Amino acid sequence: MLRYALRRVLWAIPTLLATSLVLFLVTTLAPDPPPGHDDPVAEEARRARFVDLPRFVNTSPQDVESKAAAAVKAVAAGGVDQARGARVLRHLGGAALPYVLPMLEALPPEARGRVAVALAPVALRMGVGKQEELLQPESAALFWSRFWDDRALDFTRTAVDRAVVRLVEHGTDLREADLVALDTYALPEVIRAMITARDHVVLERLTRIAHHATERGPVIESDSDDAHVRRAVASWEEWWFVHGTDLVSLDGANRAIAVVTETRYGKWLRRAASGELGVSAVDGEPIVEKLRERTPMTVLLCSLSMLFSWCAAVPLGAIGAWRRGKPFDWVSSGAMFLLYATPTFAVAELLRRLTSDHAVGAARVTLAIVALSVGSVATLSRWQRAAMLDVVRQDFVRTAHAKGLSAWRVAVVHALRNALMPTVTLAGLHLPVVLGGAFVVEEVFGLPGLGFETVRAIEAHDAAWLMAVILACAVVVTLGLITSDVLHGALDPRVREVLWRRQGGGPA
Amino acid sequence: MSGEHEPSVVLDLSRRKAATAVRNSLVEARHVAAPYLTMTRIALARLGRDRLARAGALVLACLTLVAVFADLLASDRPVACRWHGTLYVLPDVTHPPSLADVDMARMRRERASGDWVVPPLVAHGPTEPGDPSDVLLSPLTDGHPLGTDSSGRDLFARVVHGARTALGLGLLASLVLVAIGVTLGGLAGFAGGVVDSLVARVVESFTAIPTLVLVLVVGALVPHPTTGTLLWTIALTRWTELARLVRAEVLRGLGEDYVTAARALGASPARVLVRHVMPNAIGPAIVAAAFGVASVVLLEAAVDFLRVGSPDAMPSWGEAMGEARMYVGAWWLVVFPGVALLSTLVSLHLVGEAARDALDPKLREASLELGGGS
Repeated sequence: MLRYALRRVLWAIPTLLATSLVLFLVTTLAPDPPPGHDDPVAEEARRARFVDLPRFVNTSPQDVESKAAAAVKAVAAGGVDQARGARVLRHLGGAALPYVLPMLEALPPEARGRVAVALAPVALRMGVGKQEELLQPESAALFWSRFWDDRALDFTRTAVDRAVVRLVEHGTDLREADLVALDTYALPEVIRAMITARDHVVLERLTRIAHHATERGPVIESDSDDAHVRRAVASWEEWWFVHGTDLVSLDGANRAIAVVTETRYGKWLRRAASGELGVSAVDGEPIVEKLRERTPMTVLLCSLSMLFSWCAAVPLGAIGAWRRGKPFDWVSSGAMFLLYATPTFAVAELLRRLTSDHAVGAARVTLAIVALSVGSVATLSRWQRAAMLDVVRQDFVRTAHAKGLSAWRVAVVHALRNALMPTVTLAGLHLPVVLGGAFVVEEVFGLPGLGFETVRAIEAHDAAWLMAVILACAVVVTLGLITSDVLHGALDPRVREVLWRRQGGGPA
Repeated sequence: MSGEHEPSVVLDLSRRKAATAVRNSLVEARHVAAPYLTMTRIALARLGRDRLARAGALVLACLTLVAVFADLLASDRPVACRWHGTLYVLPDVTHPPSLADVDMARMRRERASGDWVVPPLVAHGPTEPGDPSDVLLSPLTDGHPLGTDSSGRDLFARVVHGARTALGLGLLASLVLVAIGVTLGGLAGFAGGVVDSLVARVVESFTAIPTLVLVLVVGALVPHPTTGTLLWTIALTRWTELARLVRAEVLRGLGEDYVTAARALGASPARVLVRHVMPNAIGPAIVAAAFGVASVVLLEAAVDFLRVGSPDAMPSWGEAMGEARMYVGAWWLVVFPGVALLSTLVSLHLVGEAARDALDPKLREASLELGGGS
């Protein structure tokens, strides 16, 4: 049984992946931010949504090496792209030096001078060299070649790692200055240390280094409160998620993995899986907080409605089938048929009109549950009736009657027990319908649940919230489907065997 | 050369003659043996006997007529007219440029001698904005038999043209979803293996997303949503049920003896699928399509109900009912579109259920048994 359940859970993983693919395709329906040429704000908006990356397969993932090479080429060639290349070199900073400086030797003297001058802001950031020396092409080229002869050993990952560990253990200004001198080359280790560090003094030094190297981002003061610290670290983490690949080199296995991860889908999926759902476009509140706030109402409505409909529908359907052709059956199946065809929103609207607008919360919630249940009762009872009708015609029911058992015992123990199974499976399939109904009902009764918030988000075109809501629904529904399948397997050993055979596992 | 060919031609002819003779005798035998019953004939006969199904089909036929001839029932242009010496028939359909900005009111005002107008039943179009004084008129006032909505548009015209929206969208969307569902479901059932599990995963992943929520979200994310967006979203999410059903039917059919027999006779897999398996899976697919139309109509109404005040002024029952939420006193905004929607849904379900029962051999025996007993 456990193996069956585990198997079913494992089979949900490809399903969830496929669902995420569908949802991702839905996100791409929203218009992309327009390309802003040389406009840093627009560029940042595009990067944050990974618009520049290919959708599914990145055949040539860009890393610091390829970006630096392209920038050096642009600067060396001079012309229109020179300014842009210089800006890229400044952004890449120290992380690009191990690739740029060896390249300098191979360049013709004039181009070498241009590149060396373009690197001046990086040197000033690192606190090495003198301004007048760095801005003269010849002296700058000479400076950088000497710099690389002296300092190449500092630009290794192990050296940086050791420096950061030392700084975290015992922070001094000198050690901080050492890391500042490495500029962006130290960032991978610095950001990683930032995520694990708890001490505010250490965090202050780490964020100061990061701020210095990137010329942006928040710096934690040693007397900041915890909430501020968390937000600041989260913002650095987010920045690293978007820009990190600019500053590290991809080699071997990492390059192979980047073919898949450095894509819009890969980035989106990683973000969604880690619960990073962004912030609402309406009020700037984190989506996760909002979800946490709104979910209880929807869960309350759905679960109570499911419970209520089950309690009402199973006896209704079973009795109808047991007394088929009798007045009770006629009336109940006629009524259920009408209710089955009635849209939930019409029922909700009618019920709302029956009450005054000033009805208290509890009354509105109760009415909402009733409105939501009407459709479910109708659907479930019709399924239950059909399943029961199937069972009561079978031979073992006749045998039970023949044995002289009471009609009550035959109906409940023999017939109903077997007739419950199809309804259990179908209940999982019914969950999405109930969820969709809850959205409508919340909107009609003005209950602050997911659906209510979603209609507001639709009016405001808040893409982040909409995607989060669909994702949440998809996860919940998948869990519901798994539960109902496992329950079905627990009730009926034949199902387990069928699944076993179909997937070619287990004993034949 | 020609001499060698002659005998074979003769042989061919005689063979053909023999085949014709056999076929003729078979046809005769069929006529002699009293009613030759195919599955379809049995199902149709049973469907015709079902009184509720007949009522549902009648309502549906009326609604279809209303949808098709909506322009004769409610429009701001005449059915036919003679305007400044030229004869126009059905200007709503032909859209003559010379009548582009001439409506019924102007025709009445500026009529020249010899001009005549055959007006539609109600002289208001569904999107024609009324005067500010026409807002929220109750039924049977000022030539508005069902009253007006909050922008002064005639409710009768909205309901009549809403039938066109609902049924048109329902039929088109279910055509698309039947096409997708039958193809993918049939393929999954017939090919099995990797294809089957692939399709199963896709079906499951679409099942996991509540359709209503997805349709709402897509409508909000697409920069300029149109009716086409709605149609494709619905069709592309609703095919899964049908695919599951067709797959099950195909799997069941593949296990039948007649399929084994066809295979033993050397039929190609394609022939087995098209001639032996699919015809038996098509019945349930048609039934599912009837329910599919109902679910699309319902979904469209629910979406428009929630998206009140959407920029596109496509007449829709759901939208009119949504407006009623803001104007509690305006009962006519709920009742008339509500009745139209409910009668459509109920009759679609009646026909669908009757068709399902008619096609179900298990139930046929049961009903014969019941019929014999009483």
